[in-house]
Amino acid sequence: MIQENNDTGGGCGGTCDKSSCACPSDEMTSRRQFLQRASTVTIGAMSLTILPVAMGDGTESQLPMANGKGAPNEGDQLFGFLVDSDKCIGAGKCMTACRTENDVPEGSHRTWVERYVHFKDGTLQVDTVPETGFAGSGLPIIDPELVDRSFFVPKLCNQCEDAPCNQVCPVHASFTSPQGVELVDPDRCIGCGYCVQACPYGARFINPETNNADKCTWCYHRVMRNEKPACVEACPVDARVFGRLDDPNSEISKRIAKIPTDVLKEHLGTHPKTRYAGICGEVK
Amino acid sequence: MNWKLIFSRDSLHLWIVSFLVIAGGSVFVWGRGQLVPETYGEQGPYRAAALEKLASKPSVLVSDSVCLKCHADVGEERAESLHKAVSCNHCHGLGREHVVQAQKAAKTPGLTIDSAKEWDGNFMTHIDLFITQDRATCLVCHESMVGMPEGFKQINVAEHLEDMGAEEVKGRDVCFECHMGHDTAP
Repeated sequence: MIQENNDTGGGCGGTCDKSSCACPSDEMTSRRQFLQRASTVTIGAMSLTILPVAMGDGTESQLPMANGKGAPNEGDQLFGFLVDSDKCIGAGKCMTACRTENDVPEGSHRTWVERYVHFKDGTLQVDTVPETGFAGSGLPIIDPELVDRSFFVPKLCNQCEDAPCNQVCPVHASFTSPQGVELVDPDRCIGCGYCVQACPYGARFINPETNNADKCTWCYHRVMRNEKPACVEACPVDARVFGRLDDPNSEISKRIAKIPTDVLKEHLGTHPKTRYAGICGEVK
Repeated sequence: MNWKLIFSRDSLHLWIVSFLVIAGGSVFVWGRGQLVPETYGEQGPYRAAALEKLASKPSVLVSDSVCLKCHADVGEERAESLHKAVSCNHCHGLGREHVVQAQKAAKTPGLTIDSAKEWDGNFMTHIDLFITQDRATCLVCHESMVGMPEGFKQINVAEHLEDMGAEEVKGRDVCFECHMGHDTAP
């Protein structure tokens, strides 16, 4: 075989007489032809199976949000959410409104409000506001004299652009809508709970009634008909602002342009679309 | 084309391989068609039909704009007050049933709308409209508590009543003796 490749003008070299030489020139040629044709047929047959898949539905070519910014298609709305911690009074109306609007079962939350209390002795206490507010909840009252600084932080789904929950879903039931809202397909979800574990913000839970993954959708059904999300509607102090980021004249665009805002766990690279104003390091 | 080669004894291997590849490929294509749901991939790596299903869910919470279609006078009064950001449902319940009745009444003359009910003290249970002068309606926001922003009006009821020179009042409607919800005088 090595001799053949030396390109000396023939299968067994120029000096070899065909009849006396032991070189099986004809046999070699036919075997090579056979292999060539066999490979041609095999590749042809394989392409028959690959072609329909490659040409199929074109999902590979139009992954939304793959560029990591903005609405995937021109003309789509892009929603945003601003939580103003400086304004929140911890009344808990948002939680009740969300529960009523979205049939969230008792014991689970799509949104909740945390309270951060820095004491003068340097300790930090973080607790969750009861649904009817602290007033009349029977929880121990903190003496304001001992407190250095305290504030409320409403939490909800951060609607990440590079959402870890989407990436782990084995059945593509978690997805980003063209408006940039993370949604769960209720007919597709198998309730495996991967996304619940993947979410670094603890925004997801398994709904015990439907056995599906459940999460804040910014009230997708309301905002698609130009209503505000239930929690925004219910907030008595405008601590929650919802609007369109693609419209520079919307209230949220103006407020984000005017006051410093931040996102939670920025170092994880999830690019959340829920922005927070008035929070400090211990929240992030 | 070397027909002799193709139909030779050795080429049986070729036929077997070809058959396996074609049969396997066909099963794959057929199986994929069965397993990939309808409308998957139309807009991205998800079922496009899910978007419509999720968006078609009816709204429960009544927006203020719906209330103000009939109660525009209250809206104007409230717009001047400190409570301008407080939505109707915050103090009056969700009012879903009320709106449904009002819409029916608008089409059928003579149909009356149920009057608002007395509040039973539970914010969680009310789909209906209610009118209340319960102090809890005010105190759910205004009771002094650690964590509130400094600019927000916080009340310690006992101290406040003492400051105002009131005798000890235990009535549920104590706030409304001096304050009104829609035009809050400080």
